[in-house]
Amino acid sequence: MSKLIDPREGVRVLLMGNEAIVRGALEAGVNVAAGYPGTPSSEIVQNLADVAGERNLYVEWSVNEKVAMEVAAAASFAKLRSLCAMKQNGVNVASDFLLHLTAAGTRGGMVLVACDDPGALSSVNEGESRHFARMVEVPLLEPGDFQEAKDMTKWAFELSEEIRNLVVLRSVTRMSHASGNVTLGRLSDAQPKAEFKYDGFILDPLEGPVVSAPVPYKHTLQQEKLKRVREIFEGSPFNTYAGPEKPDLLVVTSSACTLYSREAIHVLGVKDRVGLLKLGTTWPLPPELLKRHLASTDRVLIVEEVIPFLEENVKILAAETALEIGAKTFFGKNDGTLPSIGELNPDLVAAAIAKILGIDHVAMPPDYEKKATLMSFAKAPNRELTFCPGCPHRASFWAIHHALLMDNRLGFVCGDIGCYSMAALPCGFSTLKTLHAMGSGAGVASGFGQLHRFGMEQPAMTVCGDSTFFASVMPALVNAIHHRADLTVVVLDNSGTAMTGFQPHPGLKVNAMGGDVPALDIARICAAMGAKVEVRDPFQLEEARGTLIGLLEEKGVKVLIMRQMCALSPEKRAKKKYEVQVDEALCLGETCGCNRLCTRVFRCPGLVWDKERKKARVDEVLCAGCGVCALICPAEAIRKEEVA
Amino acid sequence: MEMTIMGQKELQERVHRAQLCTGCGACVNLCPYQVFYQDQTIVLDACDIKEGRCFAFCPRTPADLEAMRRRFFAPGDLTPEIGAVKGYLIARAADAAIRTGAQHGGTVSALMALALAEGLIDTAIVAEGADRFLQQGVAVGDGAEVLKRGKSKFITAATVAAFNRAAKGPAGAIGVVATPCQVFALAKMRMKPLPERDNNIDKLKLVIGLFCGWALDWRKFTALLAARTALEDITGMDIPQGRRLVVIYTRNGALEIPWDEVAPIAREACGVCVDTTAEFADLSVGSARIGETWETTRTWNQVIVRTEAGQALIDLARRKGVLEFREPPAGVLDELKAAARDKKKASLEKIIARTGNPEDLIYVDRRDPVIRAILD
Ligand SMILES: Cc1cc2nc3c(=O)[nH]c(=O)nc-3n(C[C@H](O)[C@H](O)[C@H](O)COP(=O)(O)OP(=O)(O)OC[C@H]3O[C@@H](n4cnc5c(N)ncnc54)[C@H](O)[C@@H]3O)c2cc1C
Ligand code: SF4
Ligand code: SF4
Ligand code: SF4
Ligand code: SF4
Repeated sequence: MSKLIDPREGVRVLLMGNEAIVRGALEAGVNVAAGYPGTPSSEIVQNLADVAGERNLYVEWSVNEKVAMEVAAAASFAKLRSLCAMKQNGVNVASDFLLHLTAAGTRGGMVLVACDDPGALSSVNEGESRHFARMVEVPLLEPGDFQEAKDMTKWAFELSEEIRNLVVLRSVTRMSHASGNVTLGRLSDAQPKAEFKYDGFILDPLEGPVVSAPVPYKHTLQQEKLKRVREIFEGSPFNTYAGPEKPDLLVVTSSACTLYSREAIHVLGVKDRVGLLKLGTTWPLPPELLKRHLASTDRVLIVEEVIPFLEENVKILAAETALEIGAKTFFGKNDGTLPSIGELNPDLVAAAIAKILGIDHVAMPPDYEKKATLMSFAKAPNRELTFCPGCPHRASFWAIHHALLMDNRLGFVCGDIGCYSMAALPCGFSTLKTLHAMGSGAGVASGFGQLHRFGMEQPAMTVCGDSTFFASVMPALVNAIHHRADLTVVVLDNSGTAMTGFQPHPGLKVNAMGGDVPALDIARICAAMGAKVEVRDPFQLEEARGTLIGLLEEKGVKVLIMRQMCALSPEKRAKKKYEVQVDEALCLGETCGCNRLCTRVFRCPGLVWDKERKKARVDEVLCAGCGVCALICPAEAIRKEEVA
Repeated sequence: MEMTIMGQKELQERVHRAQLCTGCGACVNLCPYQVFYQDQTIVLDACDIKEGRCFAFCPRTPADLEAMRRRFFAPGDLTPEIGAVKGYLIARAADAAIRTGAQHGGTVSALMALALAEGLIDTAIVAEGADRFLQQGVAVGDGAEVLKRGKSKFITAATVAAFNRAAKGPAGAIGVVATPCQVFALAKMRMKPLPERDNNIDKLKLVIGLFCGWALDWRKFTALLAARTALEDITGMDIPQGRRLVVIYTRNGALEIPWDEVAPIAREACGVCVDTTAEFADLSVGSARIGETWETTRTWNQVIVRTEAGQALIDLARRKGVLEFREPPAGVLDELKAAARDKKKASLEKIIARTGNPEDLIYVDRRDPVIRAILD
């Protein structure tokens, strides 16, 4: 049995932040959950899906985040409790619905879990979801440890029902993916019946139609509820203070920065001088609580990651209450005490506190970083960001990049988000020349595909994954076909949402809960839209390249589906297709005639260059046995043999 | 001028990006990095070898012309305008059927077929038409196959790429029909600039060069023809001696396109070429200069014999009755020399216009006596 449905109340278990959130939702009696995969949020929906049977839930990986939020909203309208989870970029996708949703209000408790990624550890930017709470005027909660992650999630449903609106719970990578001890509470045994009431009076929040009109009335109501939230937050146990009554410096913080700040104060040994106000309810801020603490000192440091959201809100409050609390000196991002990009850590916070207090503190010896880097290089192999051994994307981009060069019109590829984003790097032969949001490659290429009327001769191409195709490429494709854009679309169909861990998508026959569902065929969809469609296996390098060159020359929208399963897919992982070896006698190595094509340019990690022998070699452990490198070797030195 | 051998990076900078690539194919099929597609040589991936065969063999990288002349020709045969002349002939294939399938007199096809039949070579590299008027070099092993591939292709055929491939294979003795830039690339290979990696050049036994003024850029050519004929209907084309036009023979009759329309679609690289007579071949063949109607002239070739091997093949053809000959009219050799000299001068002037420096001739050696004779 999963520890997430452990019925024993009061026992302590080690949970990952995302698991703690799931446990909190289960204790709250969540009924429906939906999301779209995206690091660091993916485990939430997946863990709920895994216990869907036992807990009688409905859980789905929706086609995209907007739909996920809509699906979860429907459950709330039918008085169930629902949760949707996504990474920050997903909140952007869902934001159109988000504004409508919060203007009209919800019924059953509904929680949006938004996972941000400061430092862009697994993202292409450092987007922020906290602003959305302020923008759409709903409460924002930020857990500061793992226990809180659970408890806050549970409470978020109650709060949502109290104000009949969405509650946003924001996590960050270090909260979602780190683990800590959590004391379990009681699992809910509520068995609500779903029913959507709509016949009531238009202003009735529980039985009228779910609309945002009349706007003046509904909007006023929403703001009044927010005022109510502020009052509730005044007494929230998720806001805590530790430190002297009259500190030399007040640190205001939230989320993962709570842990960094606590450690910094400890390391500096300044707990008698520095007070730590840790906020769990970060929007709207509870004014009385803040006032009380601000009045106790005249120096305030706000510790948070990336954008100064908390800092600005605190400053507004301070300005409004300046007469009561007196003038303050604020430290944080705006004055440069803390960096405005990337993650924070205890060292950065300690350095900031030391600087403000004039303490002589060297967080790290000046050459520490250099030494640490050196040591880690000595111990760990220098691994570049690359596609896995046997990855179909490497083969696809080999074909794409050569096809574009042979076409010889300076064609280029517009990309979007997926493992294949790495094709902007040398591992994908630097093929992507624009890289934006999910589905944006197709949209941007659709725009390029119109520019021939201004003399542009370069052919535009775009790539997308199979999951992305459904999530957001389809509208761009419709646009391109309808407006007669000239564009080649390559769908890298690796049969799963590989980047985030093989979540199913509409192209597959299985759903998040393991159920049987109809698979939608990308080729038939594109053909029905009116595109010319070809399907190829990227491992057949020459054929794939030839097809692409042919498609590039044609006008209109052409789709090439490169179909080959991800090397890490459960089906493939078990077994090598080929046993692959280098015949040293034939290997040309560094000489003119090859110059290490396999290890220098193609660069599958399964191939290694033996510096001593000056020959290429296959690393049996890493090699996935795809056999593709045998096709590129100019000397037929790479031999493949089918494994029986 | 520096004759240093460099690598692919320099080749790309100085030849490809400078639009000097002739599409000869000498750098193709040596390694995985260059391929020939349509009528272009394409660099697929970067190679960082310091001294590469691609650079060494390319006809558009610097070469020591004097050393090459000394190596291949008898000093007494050399002329500044058209290279070595051991003999000068007007000739054509004796077999009218060969002539029908040929561009002009069929001399080239007949000689290649003869070389194969007599076992002088076992493999002949010729050009053949492919889809949409694109051309490619192919290796054939039988005279009849040579005869099927007569006629001039005014789109580059990357013949040397086909040689490179054949030289790696079982072929023992190879003969090549080649345009001047291709002939020059093969001659550079024969100098073995990188001795350990000689590309099996000793298999090369015979080079028949074609006179050449320019080849056309395929994309521009298809655009030019788009309004006039379907590419599939083209059966051949020619540049009638002395008339400023190009004739396109199609299934629906001949099309005449004024020279002014064709000149801009010639390959950029051809404009700066200083060799119109394939000076480094064993034999060079062009359309005849006999001062008669084009209909008659068309059925003859002029031939420059340059080497012993070339002379031996002509003698053999004469003995076997494979070629027939007529007396060159007085003064035609001088006419040819004057025309070749004019083209050399025009090309050198274009190069200087490009570099803006009369001492910098890009790939041509400024100190070479022939070049000095023309410029100074
Ligand atoms: C691009 C080009 C430009 C030319 N310009 C001139 C010119 O300005 N003045 C002039 O007198 N002659 C020129 N010629 C040569 C002329 O067209 C004839 O090829 C020559 O007269 C020999 O005629 P033939 O009847 O003996 O040839 P054929 O018996 O028809 O044999 C011709 C041979 O050349 C090969 N070949 C055809 N095209 C190519 C190519 N592009 N590259 C390599 N091999 C090829 C064929 O495969 C065949 O083997 C040119 C040829 C070419 C290819
Ligand atoms: S591509 Fe082939 S010849 Fe070149 S280094 Fe690799 S194994 Fe050796
Ligand atoms: S067969 Fe070659 S390309 Fe495929 S995983 Fe093994 S080493 Fe890599
Ligand atoms: S140096 Fe050799 S291996 Fe490199 S591109 Fe040139 S011919 Fe190929
Ligand atoms: S001229 Fe010939 S050898 Fe030089 S780059 Fe072009 S194709 Fe290669």
